[in-house]
Amino acid sequence: MAGKVLTITSGKGGVGKSTSSANISLGLALRGKKVVTIDLDIGLRNLDMILGLENRIVYDVVNIVEKVCKLNQAMIKDKRTDNLYLIAAAQTRDKSAVTAEQIVELTEELKKDFDYIILDSPAGIEGGFKNAMMPADEVIIITTPEISAVRDADRVIGILESNNKTEMSLIINRINPELVKKGDMMSKDDVLQVLNIPLIGVVPEDKNIVSYTNTGEPSILHSQSESGLAYKNIIQRIMGENVPFMEINEKKTGILTSIINFFKE
Amino acid sequence: MEKVLIKGKNFLGFEIDINENDIKSITKELQIVLASSSHLIKNTIVTLKLNSKNQLFAKDIINFLKERGISINAVVINDKNSINQEDIPPVIELKNTHTVTSKEEHTATYKGNLRNGQSVKANGDLVIVGNVNSNSYIYATGNIFVLGDLYGIPHAGYGGDEHSVVFAFSLHSPQIRIGDFITRSPEEEANTSVKNSKMNEPEVAYIDNNNIVINSYREWIKLKE
Ligand SMILES: Nc1ncnc2c1ncn2[C@@H]1O[C@H](COP(=O)(O)OP(=O)(O)OP(=O)(O)O)[C@@H](O)[C@H]1O
Ligand SMILES: [Mg+2]
Repeated sequence: MAGKVLTITSGKGGVGKSTSSANISLGLALRGKKVVTIDLDIGLRNLDMILGLENRIVYDVVNIVEKVCKLNQAMIKDKRTDNLYLIAAAQTRDKSAVTAEQIVELTEELKKDFDYIILDSPAGIEGGFKNAMMPADEVIIITTPEISAVRDADRVIGILESNNKTEMSLIINRINPELVKKGDMMSKDDVLQVLNIPLIGVVPEDKNIVSYTNTGEPSILHSQSESGLAYKNIIQRIMGENVPFMEINEKKTGILTSIINFFKE
Repeated sequence: MEKVLIKGKNFLGFEIDINENDIKSITKELQIVLASSSHLIKNTIVTLKLNSKNQLFAKDIINFLKERGISINAVVINDKNSINQEDIPPVIELKNTHTVTSKEEHTATYKGNLRNGQSVKANGDLVIVGNVNSNSYIYATGNIFVLGDLYGIPHAGYGGDEHSVVFAFSLHSPQIRIGDFITRSPEEEANTSVKNSKMNEPEVAYIDNNNIVINSYREWIKLKE
């Protein structure tokens, strides 16, 4: 098997990286893919909680690279499917406890047995982000429709480009159609105009996410919820299926974009 | 100026430029120059540039070169009508052609989006085909032309040229620098968000009366006339 490393990152903190990592990992596993997800937010772990696997952690990713335990001892099997494993972040250490080379080595090993290795990146552009970027085959960038988040995403995209990580796609999270309609929130197209990378999903603001997180049951398990539906579409797009976007306040493409696209050819 | 000069031209091969009017000394000079460089220009595209006086000898010079293995692809002169075009290669007329000056020769092109934290520097003019996002910087000793949205900070005339301008399809920079001048957008617009951007017209920033002013491209072009 030649697995693929999918890194989930954002620049700005708190925009939904871990929530998306949990939903994408579980969603792909439920569709029959073999998935392992690694929480690289060392010192601030929470992917285990979102997936409801908190109480099963014995060993973590730092234990693996320090060879305190065997790889399979630190792989926590999901309670709903045999296809998903979690490698948790260490809570008592910080990001300097692992190096990018060690994570590359680990993911290379995991590629033999898994279809997808999903890396939940910490916020920022420092060492922890580099650990998540270096092994990536593909990167999903998460942003919310706020100027500060979009600018940070833009910064991250620039860094990824200069590291030749060009397989990128975008999730716009927490969009509120009401606010977009009133003109109080950037629309999907406003964000795309700035970031200019392929869109793989738009996740609406969903007040239920808080309780989904508290119970360790990601949106994807609530197939009728708005966020669950959005993540289902994202899973399908990752698997190469063609799903149309639910249009939220669509705007016409300006002549400017057309001209720029023309020159880019 | 040298009497006979062989200039390399990008893509176009070579041009033999003759500034001497006496046929004897032309052939003498050619012989000297060719001794050292004829092997370089054989089998390339070669044009022959003449002035209004020595164009009389066009045929002689072409034949002289042919005997030495160099065939001329075109003759470059100022005015087509003043030469007998029989039996010579096609004539290129300079009269109606704007020759690019050495200053205009330096134009750098950057294709792609310039992202937060990135910067570009260019000697001469700079053309950016793409968007220039917030918190990026572009510097050019000459003019800056952005064929896209400009949200980053441009510095045209970097080093002091106050005649430089900044052009953009859509100009939103919080700060513009030209030569030694700096201007910033009014505070209310400081956090210009994309959602406020209308499809406005191309704009040009330039120095007028020791101030950076921004005008629509249409108005600016009128002022230049
Ligand atoms: N679509 C959404 N609707 C409502 N709330 C959301 C949505 N997505 C995420 N949240 C909430 O936003 C908060 C941050 O989410 P999350 O932890 O996934 O972000 P993160 O990018 O991983 O943060 P960090 O940078 O701290 O790792 C959480 O409380 C989560 O429940
Ligand atoms: Mg997180």
